[in-house]
Formats: sequence, structure tokens, C-alpha cells
Amino acid sequence: MAAAPARAAGRADAVAALALLWLLVCAPGNAGCHPLTVADLFDRVIRHSGRIHSLSTALYAELEKHFPPRDNELGRPARKCHTSGMLTPNGKEYAQKIPREELTHVILKLLQAWKEPLSHFNQHIEHHQELPDDSLSKAKQISNMVHELKTGVEKVTEKARFFLQVELLFLFPIQMQSMGIISNSLNGMASSEGTGLSISNEANMMSDSDFIHCFRRDSNKVQSYLKILKCRIMPENSC
Amino acid sequence: MDLWHLLFTLALICANDSLSAGDDLLQWPQISKCRSPEMETFSCFWTAGNLYNLTVPRILQLLYKKSNEEDWKECPDYVTSGQNSCYFNASYTSVWTPYCVQLVSKNEVYDKKCFSVDEIVLPDPPVHLNWTLLNTSQTGIHGDIQVRWDPPPTADVRKGWITLEYELQYKEVNETKWKELKPRLSTMVPLYSLKTARDYEIRIRSRQRTSEKFGEFSEILYVSFSQLGIGCDHCTEEVEFPWFLVLVFGVCGLAVTVISVMLSKQPRLKMLIFPPVPVPKIKGIDPDLLKKGKLDEVNSILACHDNYKTQLYSDDLWVEFIELDIEDPDEKNRASDTDRLLSEDHLKSHSSLGAKDDDSGRASCCEPDIPETDFSASDTCDATSDSDQFKKAAEKEDLLCLDRQDNDESLPSLANTDLQHQHRNTQSENSHPWAPFGNSVESPHLSVHTQVSNQNSLASTDFYAQVSDITPAGRVVLSPGQKSKLGRAQREGCTEQNFTMDNTYFCEADVKKCIVVTSHEENEPHVQEQGYNEDAYFTTESLTTTVANLGASTAAPPSSEMPVADYTSIHIVQSPQGLVLNATALPVPDKEFNVSCGYVSTDQLNKIMP
Repeated sequence: MAAAPARAAGRADAVAALALLWLLVCAPGNAGCHPLTVADLFDRVIRHSGRIHSLSTALYAELEKHFPPRDNELGRPARKCHTSGMLTPNGKEYAQKIPREELTHVILKLLQAWKEPLSHFNQHIEHHQELPDDSLSKAKQISNMVHELKTGVEKVTEKARFFLQVELLFLFPIQMQSMGIISNSLNGMASSEGTGLSISNEANMMSDSDFIHCFRRDSNKVQSYLKILKCRIMPENSC
Repeated sequence: MDLWHLLFTLALICANDSLSAGDDLLQWPQISKCRSPEMETFSCFWTAGNLYNLTVPRILQLLYKKSNEEDWKECPDYVTSGQNSCYFNASYTSVWTPYCVQLVSKNEVYDKKCFSVDEIVLPDPPVHLNWTLLNTSQTGIHGDIQVRWDPPPTADVRKGWITLEYELQYKEVNETKWKELKPRLSTMVPLYSLKTARDYEIRIRSRQRTSEKFGEFSEILYVSFSQLGIGCDHCTEEVEFPWFLVLVFGVCGLAVTVISVMLSKQPRLKMLIFPPVPVPKIKGIDPDLLKKGKLDEVNSILACHDNYKTQLYSDDLWVEFIELDIEDPDEKNRASDTDRLLSEDHLKSHSSLGAKDDDSGRASCCEPDIPETDFSASDTCDATSDSDQFKKAAEKEDLLCLDRQDNDESLPSLANTDLQHQHRNTQSENSHPWAPFGNSVESPHLSVHTQVSNQNSLASTDFYAQVSDITPAGRVVLSPGQKSKLGRAQREGCTEQNFTMDNTYFCEADVKKCIVVTSHEENEPHVQEQGYNEDAYFTTESLTTTVANLGASTAAPPSSEMPVADYTSIHIVQSPQGLVLNATALPVPDKEFNVSCGYVSTDQLNKIMP
């Protein structure tokens, strides 16, 4: 019971320490200081993911037009995406509940899982003569943007890790274990890439419009998770 | 039996149709829609249909299944969303998971639907619409307002779980069509230039940013400027653009400008805006002469013109260089023929004619070595030459088409008075018809009526005689055409030529040629055409009226010759002594009479021809 006020006091100290650190690092007049805040970076990344989602929606519509879907409406849910096996939070509550590191990890894992299948898809779709150039350019754009988004999220998390780690250090010592999980999982991306390869083999067996439908769904996931993540990292929002 | 079969099938079909169609008949229960307002919960709605009326009331159930499950589960909440609905709360909702729902009753499946929650998001309408006045125009007629609203309370936009777009629509109260603004993310929007005297209605609806379907409209917001006391009821209505006034003033201004330009003394300005219309100008000729119709003077002037001459003769170079041989015996014959024709003593004139011939064709028309009495072109150059001389010259010049030397016999021939140059074709045996001179158009045509007298050696009479010369006394010297040569030439020429029928004057030579040819070929006696001067040409009148029949006279032509029919009457209008040659009727020549370019008009020809 005494621990609770102590914890509260510790929290206030942490905030003060953060503010001090922030001022030291980014004092006005410091030429090397980048004016972009973490919030700005997050906004950029979120906008980027929103654009990806819009592009994939448009591409899906075009593919549906050119390759009309099977008449069997019920056949739709049978479509299996190669990322269906991944455990991802299914709703806002879960996204808010899981640790932020895990949320970050999920985001990065998703982006990684789509990197290679998209490049394969690009090569495959170029052979489609009947598709308009617009669709082909969209597909190319999507695969580039996914790569950029992954880089961006990594950078943001790098920057936010400062907050995260600090926060964890000062505020949530219990969570340090998860820090280890994060670092392990982030550093262990190479190992997961192995699974990504096997996953991409599944992806190749799908039809083009199903493939893009899967990606569209996952891009929506990424966007939503990023928003929640931003909300959770930035202390001013009451997430 | 077949008939009964047929009737039975028809009855079945009718029953089937009636069963499947029509709202008043059987309607199956079906799922109308499934909707998620905030991507955290969703509801499905269905219609019961009118099964209940027909059968025992059945209990409808909604079963659902997630894609990774095997069993169908029943709807957890039938109440919250209203009747015939199923509400799935957050615990039952997996956003990116495909669901399938089906409407069943007992074991009968009526409808089935599959979807995933992120695809069925339809947000609730925005709430708390209000407006504030930004500013008004100086006249107070228009005003700008800012409309604000709140996002739907169910949607968690603060955390960013869902991003909404808003579309605003507004209209005047008594209008029917809503004006739309582009969808935007912000929750406030300005409306500019609203009329303060009118009341407006505003409504807003929202949708998820990446989807296309909008949710329901919000409640209508009423905007009334009079509430704030700034309405301008006494303000006049907007004046429409005064098109009428603009038009009137524009026309008046234009008229004033035009008048001022026309009346202005500035020649440059005038020329710029009203460029002068080019009038025909011939050097040395007063246009008034042309207007008044004094063609004698005009012709004389024109005859002097070297340029004019060369232009006329450009096609007929040989004409320029023709020199008549005084010693030519044909001329003497001609003279004699002429005498015979005219019953006058033309010996005197003959000599002069002979002398005259020297000058024909010379480029210079005003050479002094030509005796005055001669009908040389030089006479016509003289401005003081009397009209008689001029007329004679004109007559002579009509003979351009004449080929005197070809004709041993003189027959009256028509002469075109329009020619102003002396071209004597006496020595030319060139069966080259040329088109009449252009200047013939204006001057009156001479229609020469020739009278072929049977006294003449009919055996040697041509079909028509050319006026080979005009004596100073005003007599026409006629010369016969050369039959044999011409006959040959005619045949050759006629078949080759491509005669065009038009209403211009034709070269009678061509005409006659063809007549000769055809007649000769067909051996019809009444087509009378002997060798004639190919260059002879007739006016239409002459051809028309005085085609004479020489059939009788040509009873004894030479074998190579055709009997000649005289048909022409030559009117020399301007001459004091008109040559009137009575013409006998010429039978209609052969039908294959083709007329080439010349002075024979189609009317003439039509009369000649059947």
C-alpha cells in the first residue's frame, strides 16, 4: 500500500526526467536537432499506412472488375490468407490490452510477411496483358510503400523505444521482461523470415484478387494498430 | 389427350409465375443487411416475409459461424438492435475475421450471408450540428457561416480506431435539390455567400475513410439569418445581368463607330476598315465608256492594244503571221463571187481588199503603210475613224474564222461582228478551228443572212460562204469553202473532235464538218455540207432562221462534194448596208451532228438537227 504512492511519485519524477532529457537533446538553437517529434513521425507513418490501404482497396476493385469473382458468394470466406495463422488482436480492446511492444512486434511481423509475396505478385501480374497500366503501377507502388512503411515503423519504434524503455524503466519495471521479448523478437526477425518464405508459397497459390483482398485486410490492420500504438505511446492521449 | 396436357402445363406455368412474382404473395425471409457502426460491434437485420400468414408461425433463428470454426452458433442477442435483428457485442466481434450468418427456421435455411466486419462499417450520423455567422457582405444581402458538428458518439475517432469522412449538404428551404460539398475529414466547414433573406437547411453524413458507402444523414440544421437580426428583408433582389441594355448600347456604339469611320476624312482609316472594292480597270479605257455601252470606241481602243491583241491570239499564233497574198487568185474569185452576191462592182474594192490583206496579222495595227481606205486594223486604231470604217473592220474581223482560200465558191456565210481583228485565213488550210474571240461577247452579233442563189455554180457552192472580206464600201466579200479538202478534214476533224453542246457560239466550220461527215457517211442527200471554211462561224440567229436547203441546188455536185444548203442570213447590224441573204430551208441534218466549240449555239443546232 505504501508502494502505490511511491509509484505515483516515481511516475512524476519520470515525467520530469523525460522533460529534462528532451530539453537537453533538443534545446532551441541546437542546429543538429531535428524538429520532428515522435508524434510527427507517427503521423507520417500512419498516413503512409492509410495510403497503402487506399491503394490496395482501389487495386482490389480493379482486379474484381477484370477477374469477376466466382458466383458463389459463400466461397469468399474460404479464401485463406497466408497471414491467417498469425495471432493478431481482433479488436480495439485487445489492441489496447496487449503490451505496446507486442503490438509493435505484430505490426512489424505483418509488414515483413507481406514483403516477399508482394514482390512475387508484382512479377506475376506484369504478365497479365489485360490489366491496365494503372493497376500494374498500383501494385508496384504498394510493394514499394510496404517496404518504406516497415522501415518507418522501425525508425519510429527506435525513437519511441527511448520512451518505451524509459517508461518501462521508470514506470513499469514489471514490463521489463517484455522488453526482452521485444528485443529478441525484433532482432530475431531473420528467423521469422524463414517462416515468411514458407508463407509466401501459400500466397502464390491464391488468385490475384484474393491475394489483394488479403493484403487489403492486413493493411487495415496495420493502420489501426499504428493508431492505437501512437495513442498509447504518446502520454497525453487517454488511451 | 394432348390438349389436356397442354392446358395442364399452361396452368402450372401460370401458377408458378404467380407464385414467384408479386409482393402480395409468398415472400421468403431474408437477411436485409449487416452493419457495424464503429468496427467494434455489429448487427444483422432480416425481414420475416409473409410466411407466417400461410403456415404455422415459425421461429426464425440466426446462426453465425466464424471462418475458422466448424459449428454454427446462435445469435447472442435478439433484442438490442430491435425486432428481427441480431446484435453482436464487442466480445463476439472479431474485426478482420470472416463471418457467415444464416437465417434458419428449424432445419430450413432461408438465407445466408458472409462478410467480414471491417467491410460492413457504416457510421452513425454526426451529432450536435450548429452554425455561427462569419461575416456578411457590405450590402447585407449575402453572408458566410461556419457549420460545426461532432462525430458520432459511437465511433472512437479520438483514439483513431476509425477515421471518418463527412459530407455536408445544404439547400434553401423551398428548393428541392441539395447542394453537396466534397467529403472532408474536419468537423467544421464554412459556407460562403448565403443569401441572408433566405433560410437554409443543412444535413451531414459520414463514412469510413476507405469505404464508399455513407451512413445515414444527420438531423437537419435550420439556418435563418433573421434570428440574428441581420436579415435584409427590404433588400432588393439580385439584379440579373442587363443583357438587353448591353445589347442596345452595344449596337448603338457600333453604329456610331461605323458612321464616324465612314464620314471621317482620314482615308487611311477608311481604307483599313472599309477596303475599296476593286473595279475593273483597263488602261486607256474610261469605265464610263463601258457603262454607257459605246462599244465602238471601246473596240477601237481595245484593238489598239498590243497586249490585248497578243492575248487574244495567244492560242492562234499562226494567225498573227498570216500575210495575204495580193496576187492570190482566190481573192479574185472571191471578189467575183462577192460581186455576184452583191450585184455590185467590187473590183475597185477588190484591189483595195487585196492591198488590205497585206496588213492582216501584223502585230502592230497602226502601221502607216496601210492605205487609209483599206480595211486594215490601222484604220480602226485611228480614234477618228468613223463608225462605218469601224463597222466594216468589225465585219472583216468577223471573218477570223473564215478560210477564204479554201473556198472556190463563195457562199454567203455568217460573220461574227465581234471580232476586232482582221484575220484572214485565206491561205491557211489548217483545219484548225479556234474558239471565237472573247470580245465577241459584248458586241452585237452580226447575223448574216446569206442568200444562196441558185445562179451560183451550185456544183461548187459551199454549204455556206464565208465573208472573206468587207469592202470599204461596206460590201461583204464572200468566199466559198474548199470542199474536198474540207471534206477530208471534216471527216477527220469531226470524228476526232469532241463536241460539247453548250449555249455558246460554235465554230460553224466544225458544225458543218460534222454535218458533212455524217451526211457523207450516211449518204443522205439532205445533209448539205460541202467543203466549207472551217473557220466560218455563224451566229445563232442565222443558223436558226435561214438554214436553207440546197438540196435542189446541189443536185449536181461533184462526187466528192455534198450538195450545199444555204441556210444563213447574215445581218450586219452596224453596217449601213446590211447583207441580207435569203435563205432556203435546210433540212435537218443528221442526228449525229455534234457541235464543237464555236459560235453556233445549241438552239441553232437543235434546229439543224432533228
